[in-house]
Formats: sequence, C-alpha cells, structure tokens
Amino acid sequence: MSALLPFPSRQLRQALTGLIVCSLLPLMAQQTAPAGHGSYTKLRAERGQSATADHSKFKVLQGPFKDGDGSAVTRACLSCHTKAAAQVMATKHWNWRPSDKKLEGYGKSTHLVNNFCISTIGGNQEACARCHAGYGMKDSGFDYTKAENVDCLVCHDTTGDYEKIKGGYPNPAVPLADIAQKVGRPGNQNCGVCHFFGGGADATKHGDLDDTILKAPRAVDVHLSKQGAGMACTDCHLSQAHEIAGPGYIEAADRREQPRFPGEPMSRMSCAACHTASPHASFVLNRHYRKVACQTCHIPAFARGGLASNLSWTWSTAGKLKEGRPYEERDAQGLETYNTIHGDMVWAKDVKPEYVWYDGHMAFTRLTDTISPARPVVLNPLQGSYADPEAKIWPFKRHDGDQPFDPVLNRFIAPWTAGPKGSGAYWGDYDWDRAIRLGMEKAGLPWSGKYDFVKTQMWWPITHMVAPKTQALACTECHSRQGRLDRVAGFYLPGRDRGAGVDFLGWSAVLLTFCAVAVHGAFRFLSSRS
Amino acid sequence: MSRIVLYPLFNRIWHWTQALLILLLALTGFEVRGTFRLFGYLRAVNLHHTFAVALVVLILFAIFWHVTTGEWRQYIPTRAFLREMVAFYLTGIFKNAPHPVRKERTAKLNPLQRLAYLGFKVLIIPVQVSTGALYFFYPNLSASGWPPSSLWFIAVLHVLGAFGLLAFLVGHVYLTTTGHRPLSNLKAMLVGYEEVHEEAAASASEEPSA
Repeated sequence: MSALLPFPSRQLRQALTGLIVCSLLPLMAQQTAPAGHGSYTKLRAERGQSATADHSKFKVLQGPFKDGDGSAVTRACLSCHTKAAAQVMATKHWNWRPSDKKLEGYGKSTHLVNNFCISTIGGNQEACARCHAGYGMKDSGFDYTKAENVDCLVCHDTTGDYEKIKGGYPNPAVPLADIAQKVGRPGNQNCGVCHFFGGGADATKHGDLDDTILKAPRAVDVHLSKQGAGMACTDCHLSQAHEIAGPGYIEAADRREQPRFPGEPMSRMSCAACHTASPHASFVLNRHYRKVACQTCHIPAFARGGLASNLSWTWSTAGKLKEGRPYEERDAQGLETYNTIHGDMVWAKDVKPEYVWYDGHMAFTRLTDTISPARPVVLNPLQGSYADPEAKIWPFKRHDGDQPFDPVLNRFIAPWTAGPKGSGAYWGDYDWDRAIRLGMEKAGLPWSGKYDFVKTQMWWPITHMVAPKTQALACTECHSRQGRLDRVAGFYLPGRDRGAGVDFLGWSAVLLTFCAVAVHGAFRFLSSRS
Repeated sequence: MSRIVLYPLFNRIWHWTQALLILLLALTGFEVRGTFRLFGYLRAVNLHHTFAVALVVLILFAIFWHVTTGEWRQYIPTRAFLREMVAFYLTGIFKNAPHPVRKERTAKLNPLQRLAYLGFKVLIIPVQVSTGALYFFYPNLSASGWPPSSLWFIAVLHVLGAFGLLAFLVGHVYLTTTGHRPLSNLKAMLVGYEEVHEEAAASASEEPSA
C-alpha cells in the first residue's frame, strides 16, 4: 500500500497556502488609480504667448470699418491671409453641404430635413444665416464663390463681443476694428455661438452641447472645464486648411475609436487617441471597449449643465391663438410647454440617454425622399447591430416630434417659417397652406396642395460633457433587469438575461433535493425516537 | 473503539479548499447573475475569475495527487453492494440497520458515493470549467466568428451546472449526517480519521489507533 502513503504534510500545507495567497493577490492589486495628465490650461496660455504677430499693429486692421460691414474686415484679412477664403469656401461651415457632389441633397443648404426648424430652404435662409460663416445669405441666391462674403470674425473673435444678425451680417453695434485687432485661434465660445444654440436656443438640439460648458465645473465636463483638463473644442476637433474635424452628413464618425498616430489628420476625434484602447486598471472594464462606447458609461446623463434640452417638438399643435394673439405657456420650472410658433414642446435636464448599436453610419432624409407615414419616420436611421463588428452600444438623445408632409407625394415639406406678419411665413400669419405654398415655391419643389402631419424621430449621438470617472455608470446600471440596456437586443448580457425557465429549473432542482433530504431526515428522526 | 485514517492531510485540505472555492464561486456567480447583491458587481466578477483560476489550479494538484497516490481507484464504480446501499437509504436507515458497506482506507467510499463523486468529477466539474472558460474567453471567440447566440448557450449551461452543484451540496451535506452519529462523518473529514468498532478495526488492520 505504498501508493497510499500520505504526502509530507508541512510542505503541502505551505504549497497550498502559497497557492491561495497567490490567487488572491491580484484582487488586492486591482483598481489602482492611473496617473492623471497635466492641465491643458497652462499649455493653452503658453501657446497663446507664442504667437508671432500682434494684429493690433497692422495698419489694415486699424479701420474704421463701416458699421456692420463685415466684408471690409474680410478684405483686410485676405490682404495677408491670401489663401484663407479659398480654404473656408471648401468647408462644411461655408457650404452647409457635403463636399462630395455625388451625394446631392444632403446638408442644410439643400434638401435635408430635421426635427426642429425642419428646413432652411423654404425661405428661411436669412434667419438661419445667423449661424452661417458668411455674410449676405438671404435666400437660395447666395453667392458661394465670393471671397469677401466669408466671415472670418465669427470663428476668430477673441473678445466675445462679435455678434451676427439676420443674413449673417455683423450686428452694426459690433466694434469691428477692435475685434479685428484682437483676432486669434478659435476658442470654445466661437464654436459655441452656433453649436450651443442649434435648434434656435441654448441647449435645444444636441443635449450634450450648451452654453454652460464655458463655465462648467469639472463634474459637468472633465475635458472642457477650466477646473478639469481645460481643453478647447479644437484640441479634439483638429482642423486642416480651415476644415474642422467632425462627422458630417456622409462621413461616418470614428466609432471604433482606434488610436491614431501623431500627424494623422483629425487624429484626436476619438477617446482612444489620448486614453488608449485599454484605459482602465481593470481587465474586465477594458474588455468592454470592443462593444461599448466610452461615452455609454462616462456620460451618465445629458443636459447635465443646468439647462434643459428639447426632447419633443410637436408642430401640429402650433398656431393656436388666445384672443387673436400668439401666446406661450411655461411649466413650474420655466420651461416652454407651448408656444404658438412651435406647438407643444417637452424639455428636460439630466436625461438618461437611450442606447443603440451604432457603427458611426446614419442615414438622412431629404425633402425629395419618399416616406411611409404609417409609422413615425426616423429622420436619421442608425446603422449597427451586435453582430456588426464595427458597432458599439452608444448613448443617444432621442428627439420626438411631428411635422407637415405631403400626403399625396409622401414627401416632407419645407414651409416658410421665419418671416413677419403679412408675409405669409408661418410665424407671421400661422397659415400652413400659405407658408407651405410659399416655402415650396422658394425651395423649387413640387407640392400637391395638401398637407398633413407625420410623427418623426431623430437620434442625436451623445459624446460631449463627459463626467469624471467617479460618476461613471456602475456595472448594475446595465448588468441588471430593467437596467439601461433593457431594450438593447441581440445578445446575452450577464445580469440582465437569464434564459427562459433556467432559474425555475435550477431552483426546482435545488428545492426538490432539499425536500427529499428533509423528508428523509424527518423519517430518520421519527424512527430513531420510536 | 479504534481509529481508522480515511482522509490524509492533502485530501482534507483539497476537500475543504474546494468546498470554500465552490461556495464563493456560487456567491459571486449568482451575484453576477443578478440573484442578489453582496460584493458589488465588478468585485464579484473579479472574485469569480480569481476563485475560478484558484479552483482550476487546485484541481490540477488534486488530479496529480489522485494519480500519484492511486487514490483515483476509490472512484471506480462498482455494482457490489449497490442494491444494498440503495435499500439502506430507503429502508434500513430508518430501522437502525447496520451500514452495509464497511469503510476501509483503500475503499472509503460506498458504491453510491463512488457514483456520485465520479459524476461530480467527470461531469459537473468539467462542464463548469469548460463553460466557464468559454464564458471568460467569449469576447475573443466572438471576435473570431462565434455567433451572438453562443453566449446564451454557454451561460445557460454554466448556470445549470451551478444549480447542479447547489443541489449536490444540499444532498452532500445532508448525507454527512448519516454516519454513526450525525456529526461523525463531518468530524472525520476535519480530523482525517474515524472511530470504528473493534471488529471493524480488526478487519481493517492497518493504521491502528495511537
């Protein structure tokens, strides 16, 4: 029986102790905090001092410029920056449409439809041009080839005093010479004057972009907050020959977030460009990278800065009058619930996003596309699924609403909305028939003469206003029943999915075993007493 | 009365470490499943991975021990006394009938135990280890083309295995009370030896009491 001799017990004990200690060590080591990176604020200050030109010394910028004559300033700029206007005129900020001519009709200067102000081309160009990087856009006749129409100041003003009015012209009250002498690199405010106010007012459209970013505490935006990294929009949205990096109507966003190398164009348009593809100390968290966008966990809610974002815009209820006058209603928080010019509206702060498989591609809807009005029309359907290796789970703001469409042609309509009383524009006279007829004439599109309203939906990716890591979602926000990913289908999610009947089967087996031994034990107990 | 050594030191350390790890795996595993909250989700996941690796290492040691000591022969199924064992648990035990199988150092398991533990070793543990490994490496498998539905199968098998282990645990713990006295089997597993009656000790000649 030598084969059954016991092992030397002391060594064995030591070996097993070592085994257990070793296997527990990684637990103690996990979750060490990664070293933080330095603040961009200092970097920015240094970069500002490194400029080689003091624009206040240039004679051509001394002025005086005629009040509101932005083109005069532009001519002065171009006398040194001779190629700048040509560069700007090749960009999205100027053309409001993709540069790829094969994709006709995409872009707000053409046939694109959105869920807010619907369309620019039904005669609304003059109002919309407050956010056009040019001067004089009044109608579809705008000359996109005239260099002096380029608005240099809207992006390069460093004073914060520059302001645009209808047609994209500078407000005549703006001190043009003063501003021209202080031009510099675009700051967050330059981007913000348009991008914070999309949809017509602060925070309305995006949900993750609003005016509060400029003074955000670190908790609201770790990147752009002065107490955070102190970064600028342009630190990620790099530019090349005046074209700013960012997803357009046809360019897909870099949703794979692949790290890039310095010098590659648009190299920081992904979290991974700075944070790498495995930024967590935890292996388990890093593995999420393949299927979950960083934003999903690190932006727990949108509209976190204190301003409410618009969640629904119901055009079909617009036009109601009280004693013959337009009116508006607000809720206890001061949020607009009804306005004669808009219809019913819904606003909210700190909104949990919706989560969708998304590979960076979204389709868009044009005024020339045929729609099926039986169901709500998604204006920008998202591409992606679990099986799609390019797709990740992304947070989105869903925007609901309705808007007029042509029930005969089954197409959307470009009504003329922005115009004075008596002009026929909807916000002047609240007459859809006339506003649509005039709008479609101005847009040069056919209209059957009939209109109805169709429910619409739009999806806005949430990627800005990233929270500090301490506010990142806990695992059980998703890994639980009725969690955030409750409706994201197509895959097995631990903690959420159980497998139908598995729990019943399993607990039944355990319970039956328990009953069997309980009965057996009871009989033993009784028989031992008798 | 005399003592018979049934469980050498390694046997006991292995058994109790394995028991502890399986309990901890059940606790962390069912937390990951969402049955309850205990450690916190991320900690539960990490602990589950760590305990799983520890258990696999322990099992490798145990396999080595079984092979080198020949202890694996303890688990060879036998029909001898199988019918008697079943009859004992169904009727005899209630009539204070003597245990039909005598424990010996080289045959410490009765025919039912042999079957149960063999099933445990060749069925439940391999299923749990393999589905666990597939579960852990699923992101890699998915990247190399495994369909999305495969994780469902892997997870369901792993969970069914876990329920199997729970049911086994209930039966196993109960059956420890069927020794001479309710706690004598448990005590033997702790100290390694069991008190046996004189005639049994006489037949099991080795390892006389100290």
